[in-house]
Parts: sequence; C-alpha cells; structure tokens
Amino acid sequence: MSTSLEMKNIQKFYGPLHVVKDFDLLIQPGEFVTFLGPSGSGKTTALKMIAGFETPTSGDIFLGSRSIVDLPAYERGIGMVFQNYALFPHMTVAENVAFPLTVRKAPRQETAEKVGRALQLVKMDQYSGRYPNQLSGGQQQRIALARAIVFNPSILLMDEPLGALDRNLREHMKIEIMRIQKELNMTVVFVTHDQDEALTMSDRIAVINEGRLVQVDDSKSLYGKPKNRFVASFVGESNMIPCRVDHAQNGVGKLTVAGIAPGAAQLSGQTDGAKAWLFVRPEHVDIDLRAPAADAPNALHGVVENALFLGEMTRYLVRCGDETITVKRQNRGQAHFAGGTPVTVSWKSEDCTVLN
Amino acid sequence: MNVAQARAAGSVDERPVKRLDVMNALSGNRWIRGTIVASPLTILLIGFLVIPLSYIVWGSFEGSKLNFSHYARVFASETNLNILLRTLQTGFIVTVVSITVGYPVAYLLTKLKSRALSTISVFILIPLFTAFLIRTYAWMVILGREGVINNALISLGLVSAPLQLLNTTFAVVIGMAHVFIPMAIFTMYSSMVRIDHDFAHAAQILGAKPVQAFLRVYFPMTLPAVFSAGILIFITAIGFYITPALLGGPSDTMISQLIVTQMTVLLNFELGYASSIVLLLVTIGILFVASLFIPLEMIWSSTSTATLDEKPRVAARLFTRLKRAMEPLLRVTESTIHTVTSPLLTRQARWLWAYTVLVLLFLTAPLIVVVILSFSSSPFVVFPPPGLSMQWWEKLAKATDWHQSFFFSIQLGAAAALVATIVGTMGAFWLVRTQFLFKRTLFLFSLSPLMVPVVIIATALYVFEARLQILGTFGGLVMGHVLLSVPYVIVVMAAALRNFDPALEPAASVHGARPLQTLRLVTLPILKPALLTAGLLAFLTSFDELLVSIFLLGRQTPTLPIKFWGDIKYQIDPLLSAASTLIVLLVTASIITVQLIRDRHNKRTSTSIAE
Repeated sequence: MSTSLEMKNIQKFYGPLHVVKDFDLLIQPGEFVTFLGPSGSGKTTALKMIAGFETPTSGDIFLGSRSIVDLPAYERGIGMVFQNYALFPHMTVAENVAFPLTVRKAPRQETAEKVGRALQLVKMDQYSGRYPNQLSGGQQQRIALARAIVFNPSILLMDEPLGALDRNLREHMKIEIMRIQKELNMTVVFVTHDQDEALTMSDRIAVINEGRLVQVDDSKSLYGKPKNRFVASFVGESNMIPCRVDHAQNGVGKLTVAGIAPGAAQLSGQTDGAKAWLFVRPEHVDIDLRAPAADAPNALHGVVENALFLGEMTRYLVRCGDETITVKRQNRGQAHFAGGTPVTVSWKSEDCTVLN
Repeated sequence: MNVAQARAAGSVDERPVKRLDVMNALSGNRWIRGTIVASPLTILLIGFLVIPLSYIVWGSFEGSKLNFSHYARVFASETNLNILLRTLQTGFIVTVVSITVGYPVAYLLTKLKSRALSTISVFILIPLFTAFLIRTYAWMVILGREGVINNALISLGLVSAPLQLLNTTFAVVIGMAHVFIPMAIFTMYSSMVRIDHDFAHAAQILGAKPVQAFLRVYFPMTLPAVFSAGILIFITAIGFYITPALLGGPSDTMISQLIVTQMTVLLNFELGYASSIVLLLVTIGILFVASLFIPLEMIWSSTSTATLDEKPRVAARLFTRLKRAMEPLLRVTESTIHTVTSPLLTRQARWLWAYTVLVLLFLTAPLIVVVILSFSSSPFVVFPPPGLSMQWWEKLAKATDWHQSFFFSIQLGAAAALVATIVGTMGAFWLVRTQFLFKRTLFLFSLSPLMVPVVIIATALYVFEARLQILGTFGGLVMGHVLLSVPYVIVVMAAALRNFDPALEPAASVHGARPLQTLRLVTLPILKPALLTAGLLAFLTSFDELLVSIFLLGRQTPTLPIKFWGDIKYQIDPLLSAASTLIVLLVTASIITVQLIRDRHNKRTSTSIAE
C-alpha cells in the first residue's frame, strides 16, 4: 500500500519572497524521506504544498502517476501527523481515529474494524473512550499517528511530530514510527530540524537550506560525504579549515592547510590554486603529544585549549594558530591531555574532503 | 481501498471528476467565502446604523436648508445646557465611584483560586445580568419614604420624619453605581488577571515595601485596565435613561431623558436630533481622547490588550513626566501609608476580604429586598413587610397582561438572539480569519452599537423604520435588538476564534473532510460553549432592552421591560417584586446552565495534557 511522490520543479513565492526554489524530488514507494533544515528553510512550506494547504507558484506534484496540485487537501487522500497533533478536543480517541472514515462515509462496521486495527498498531486500543486531554503527550502522538494511517493513505506526512516530546519518549517514538512504517510499508515524508531524528529514521534525507534542496542522500553518505559546507556543518559536528589546492590529480589533491602545513585530501571538483575548506569530522582527528619533527601531511601543531570529559569520550578544543580544531576521542584508557599541553592533531587523507 | 488510489488506478492523467457540490466549491473560493461571511454584518451595520444615523444628522439641520438654529437652541437655552453639564457631571461622579469601589474587588479576584473565584463571580454576575429596571425598582423600594433606610433610621430614633432620599442626585448616583460596579469589576478583572503577581513579588524581594511594590509596580500596570473600564462606564453613563428617570428629581434630568421627551412628548424632532448629535459628538470626542492613551478595542474586548510592540502612546510620555514631578510627594505618601497599613496587612488579606464582602452585600442586597417584598402582605411598598403572604404571586399568576408581555419578550429575545448569533458569528469569522487593511478599524466599527448612546440608536431607528414602513412590526423590533446585541456576540466569538487551534481545520481537511464537513464536525462543535454564551448574552440584551423597544414597538404587545416601565411609573406595588423575582430566577438559572455546559465542555476539551 504505498505510492511514489514526485515533486517537479516546484517554486513558491510569497510576494517577492522566494521560499521554495527548484524542488525536484522523486520519493519511491515505501521510502522514508526526511526534509531536514533549519527553521525558515522552507521545509514546512514544501510539506504544506504536498498536503494541499499551499499552492505552488509553479511546478507539479505527482502522487503515483496522478498530478495533485489542483486537488484540494480533502481529495488528496494523504495522512498527516501535525506538530502539536491537532487532535479534535471534543471527540474521543475512537472518534478522532474514525474521523477520516466518517467524513468518507465508510460503513460503520468497517470503520469500527479499521479503528480497532489502527489503535492496536499504535498499542492504544484500551484508551478508545478517552478524550485527548486525558492522555499524555506520547499517547496523543500515537493517536495522531493512528488517525493518519487508519484509511490506508497513499502517503504519510509528519510535521516535526516529535518536537513536543521529552527526550526519552522521543527516542521511543522514533523506533515505534519506524516499526509501523516498515509494517505497513508506507511512503513517509518527515519534516524535522533535528539531525539525530533524520539520521536514525530515514532511508534518505533531503537537506534544505534557504528554500533549496542542498543534498538528497542516505544518512551515511550525507554524514561521510557532505556536498558542501552547509551540509557538513548542519549534519553532525565538523572542522572546517581554510586550505589551498596546490596540485590536483585524479580527485585527490595536495594542499596547504591553514596556510602552513602540507596536506592531502579528496577533492570535490576543485582545480589547482583553488582556495577552499578542508572538512574533517572531529572523531577522525587523532591527538598526540607534540612530536618534535613530525612533518607528515595533515598534521597541525597546537595547544589544548579546553578538554571536556563527556563520559564515553573526551572532547578537545585545540588551538592551532588561528584555527581551533575539535577532536573527539573515545576514552579507552589513553593519556589525558590537560589544558595548555602542546599537542599535534592529525588525520588520514581518506577521512577528509575539500569543500568549496 | 482508499479513494485516492482507486482513482489513481483508473486512468493516467485524468483529473478526478469533481463533485457537483456547489456549496463546497463556493466555500473553497477565498473571495466568495469572504463575501458570504462578511455581508450579513456589513448589511446590518450600514443598513441599520450608518444610514439611520445619517438621517438624524441630515434632519438635525433640516437637510438642504442647512438650518443650524437647532444646535444653537441646544446651547442657548440655559436649561438644555445645564442638562448637558449635569449629564457629564453625573457620568463622571458615577465613573469615579464605580472604579474606586470596584478596583479592590477586582484585585482580590485576581488572587483567587478557581473555586472561590466562581463563588464570588456568581454574586457579581447575577446583579450584572439583572435588568436595569429591576435594580432601579429595588432602589426605589430601599430609598422610598417607607423604604428600608428610612424605616431603619426612624426605628433607631435618629430621625423623626422620613428623609427625602428618592428623587435626589444621591439616589441617582447610588442607583447608577450599583449598575456600573459589577461592570467595572469585570472589565478591570479581565485585564488585571493577565498581570503576573510575581512582578510585585520581584519588587518586594528587591527591597520595595508592599505599598511601594503596589504603587510603583502593580498599579501602573493596571492603569490601562482602569482607564478602559472608566471610559466604558462614562460613555454608557452619559447615555443612561432608566435610572435617572426613576430615581432622580427634576433637577437630575440627563440628556437621554431630554431627547426622549422631545421626541415622544413635545414632538420637537429637530431639537431632538440636534441634542442626539451633540451627545454623539461628546461620546466620539471622549473615545478619540481615549484612543490616544489605550487601544480602543481594549475597552470592549479584553482579549486584545495593549501589545508591547506598539509605539509608546502619549500616555506613556505624559506619565513619565508626571511621575518625575510627583516623586517627592509619592515618597511621603508611600511611607505614611506603609506606617499606617503595615500592622493591618496580613497575608490572608483579611481586610480586602471584609471589604469585598461589603461590596457584594451592596450589590446583592437590593435583589434580596425585592425577593422578600414579593411575599409582602401589605398592598403598599413597605419594607420590612408587615406580614407574609402569597397574594402578589397569586395575582401574578392571574395577570394575563404580564403573561402576554413575558411570552412576547421571550419570543423577541429568542428571535433577536438567533439572528444576532448568526450575523455576529459570521462577522467574527470574517474579522478574525481574513487578512485585510483597516482590520482594527473595522473591528471597532462592528462594536459601534455599544459606543453610540442607546437613545440615539432608538431615535435613528425610529425615523428610519418609519420611512421603510416597518415601524411597529415584529421584524423591525427584532432588527433593533439584533443591532444592540451583535457586538456582544462579536466580542465573545472573536475571542473564541483567536484561541482556536489553527491546526485543527487543516487536520480535518487533509484527512478528507470537505469545508462544510469541517465546519459541522470540527469548527462549530468546538465553538459550542462560546456560541451558547454569545446567544445568552444576545438574549439577555434583548430581554432587558427598554428604549429601543419603546420607540419601535408600535401597537404590538408591550415587552416585559415596557410593561414594567409603565407600571413602575404609575403604580409601584409589590406585584413588580413578584415579577422581578421570577425574572431574576430565570436569568440566574439560564446563566448557571450555560456556565455548567461550558465547564463540562472545557473540562473535556481543555488543551492541558494529563500527566
């Protein structure tokens, strides 16, 4: 029971404001795609256009093979979970879940069966007589989910559904949502500004910035091979060090890092002489006492500015000239470097990329 | 199978055939929907307020003759000028008294928990919703030659002959204060309740004495509330008719009485028009001055309190200068008050409680007097009654003229409430849900029937409906009452709509509900308590209404207030007490019923999350 969703060259203007730019995205049936972006990036507007609350200024949206841009929301047959759930306060849990069937005038017998099944799926079957305000946030979340899936929608939209939950509940609901999605093999579009949610749950993540799709990839490629500085800094923690490409060959370049040290890294299309940024994740940076004559590539000398003990790991801030390098090291009984210790930080050339 | 898929499976690229559901299609279009929703209110306000008022303005200078001599007559005659000045004077005194008396009670209410709050509010709500006529009647009983006060003074031996209390300025002020104190309390309370008492606590922990914390932190924050209550009371008071007419002497005549006399007795229409316009201009002038200090809509709907992003108003600048000038005086006052009050101030605020109980007694006692009097054995209005009997109740049970009036008023109230609720609710949807220029101005304009003194509306409608030849018809009377009650509906519904969770309607829509289904299944059920309140307010407004009814009634059965008015003027007897008691009971019952329904609904649907 799943349908593909395709957005073709979607543009959205609010007056002179261009909030969604050149959206082209094909979501496969059964795929879990997350729109990830900072607030105001246009991700919610994009979702609203799929749901039918906003009309694209131009472009087309296909559900399966059918264009839906001209359909009102109530004829699209989409399920949606709202940020604050939007449960109808005057209806019981059962009435809320039955709502999509009631308005479609489904036979009573069928309605009761489907509501029962949906409530079972979210493990809320014993609460059907309650009113929403008698439920906790997590329970309301489940009911909202049940309501959105009860009529076998072709696609399920979720607008920051975990934002209002506390941390533990959020972890739990993430897993629940993934379980239900797999069980029903639903196509899901999930909107969030929380990178952890995006990385854990999605088949693919569409990173959105300033109304534009910046990168659409699975979690691992997105984290390991970000296409540009925005993705690199928005998803996960990263070090960005200014560098110059001295010699490019076969996608690998010899560099000058931070204006002093020699280095080597994978290029993303830069040519000789380009000024760019060297990107490396903090967990890929090694830290050691300063070796007197180490002139190996990708190594910078510095002084520990700050060492934060975080339990399973230690987070160092190392000042190397004008740059501050973040290092994350698993605590496995190695020596600890206190603030002020002269150290050398280094990383392998396959762990770093040059970004524009 | 779901609908979308079934359709998608059909044929590629073929758009689904839209249902020929005209209403849904219409309500889908923003412009058409806007027009449908906006038109009833617009038609009502323009057709039954703006056009009639312009008739009056036109008539006041005899149209194209441009004869302004009637205005000259208003000001030239010393009697008329005196009446105008007396009106303003009485209005001012009543405003100051009501605000001063009401403020401590409103302050106490903001500190109460819900149980105590609802108990006290009942004692204020019942007087608030009791007809002006009944309350005025009660004061006639209390202040009369053989009334409670005179009898008490004589039996205590303080005076030998009954004092002349009725038909004095004192009686007018007392009677009007009794009308306006509940209004003052509720208007001030609804804005004051939003002020966090932690501000005062913060001041105290920073070293301010309780008096300083109050005078320098809390009180200045309540000033907009006090001011808007004051404006509301003042402009209502200067248009007041019933109380001064019944409790005042000849020298206490207020401008509304003058207009009514000119229009109905002296048949001096142009002078009546001119006096109306003068009263209207005074009201507009006051509102204009007030608008320099506070946002005007705050006066009628506390929901839109002054927002912080607005530029500082004239008031703010004025106050800063004033404060600096007053500084030394303030210090002296503060320390004096502190020395005097610190032994009296207790944490339980016992003094405040005692004071509040006194005020509540003042508010409810007259009604109790009326109830007791209805069981009097005397044929005259004597209090305390010499004996008890059911004779007045029996008489009321047989009085068919009262029955007719009662049922006519119920009919009229129900019709007016129905129309007003529909028109007002649609208007509120329009004013809250759509974005357009001058929205604030339009909201204010929709409340204008509350700002224009009732006597002017009555005169204007009288002339206008006579032209349309609907004067004296049931429909004409209903429209008059609708005009007066629509602002209350708008205020209540606008507040409810502003609190409406904006995600609910999209949620209904995305899950398949058509616009009309959304309205029927989601929007209206959630608004039900507000609709009930609005309907009840509209009904009570119509049920209490006197002036407009007098002008528009024609040869129909007199409404209950008109019946009451006629009797009170010629033969004041305990039968009126029995009738009043019955009305008060009915009104109280309906208020409590609506309150219970609201509570039940709110308990079920409040947005708070159970833990």
